[in-house]
Amino acid sequence: MRLINNEYLTMLSRLLIGGMLIYASFYKIIEPASFAKSIWYYHLVPGYLINLMALILPWLELLCGVGLILGILYDGSRLWSALMMVVFIIALASTIYRGIDIDCGCFKASQGATKSAWSALIFDLVAMLFIMQLMLSKSRRWLLCPK
Amino acid sequence: MLLASAVLSFAVNALSPNGIDVIGKYRELSGSEGPIVPPTAEPDDPPFIDINVAQMEHAAGQALFVDARNLEDFECGTIPGSVNLPFEYLPEGDLAPYFDSVLAAPKDRMLIVFCSGEECDLSLHLARNLKLQGYTDLAIFFGGAREWEKFGLDVERRKQCG
Repeated sequence: MRLINNEYLTMLSRLLIGGMLIYASFYKIIEPASFAKSIWYYHLVPGYLINLMALILPWLELLCGVGLILGILYDGSRLWSALMMVVFIIALASTIYRGIDIDCGCFKASQGATKSAWSALIFDLVAMLFIMQLMLSKSRRWLLCPK
Repeated sequence: MLLASAVLSFAVNALSPNGIDVIGKYRELSGSEGPIVPPTAEPDDPPFIDINVAQMEHAAGQALFVDARNLEDFECGTIPGSVNLPFEYLPEGDLAPYFDSVLAAPKDRMLIVFCSGEECDLSLHLARNLKLQGYTDLAIFFGGAREWEKFGLDVERRKQCG
């Protein structure tokens, strides 16, 4: 528990996950149609919800990323980060299970090979470890708005 | 945070030149058996896409659909928003200025080439010509206008035909 509550490790997790979320949100905000196409290839979301998801999700990523790094709306940021990561992991795992040959669309829009879905899944599982540390950590040091 | 994301995304989307419809027009078309690939296809031809991917690309609105049939067929009914590049009536000589003027699109824009359907290989030949002219993001929808209409998708008619 001492390691989980370590304030330096917590800050590192905030920077890593926050930076990753901000970086991941950029292309999706700039090119929502490309991101919508990436979502379509998963065949998990009803057609009428694809654009809605392609519009809102990147902004949620951006706000969570900024929230984690600066420590604003910190509890909400780490909770939404965890929820999004669970959804990403389930979506990626399901495409691999169903043998759908797609690129994850995590950081850029392209249709590559299944290998990238595997590497994205491993990447997300590692990121989930850091998010779990954030969820469990009681450290509230270096938050701009600790309350 | 979800509400803030929604408000920000709608506002930016409304102002962005890359904005999209909030409610997408994507449809899952059951009965598609994957892309139709003609026996004359070569390994280095542009990829062939099926009706589902063609419909998705049309709904996403980024790709330009290119109808390779003659003007008469094009006007009788085509995929909405398509441009007509009749392969059988291409001008002689350098095709680059002609393609540039008709398509009015950058070389890296996605072009989806189609014609009538399986019996028609104009789309394949046109796609090969476009590739030679330096267009880099090409796909061939070999099911063509007939498969598009068969699945009940909207058709743009410029005149009434028999």
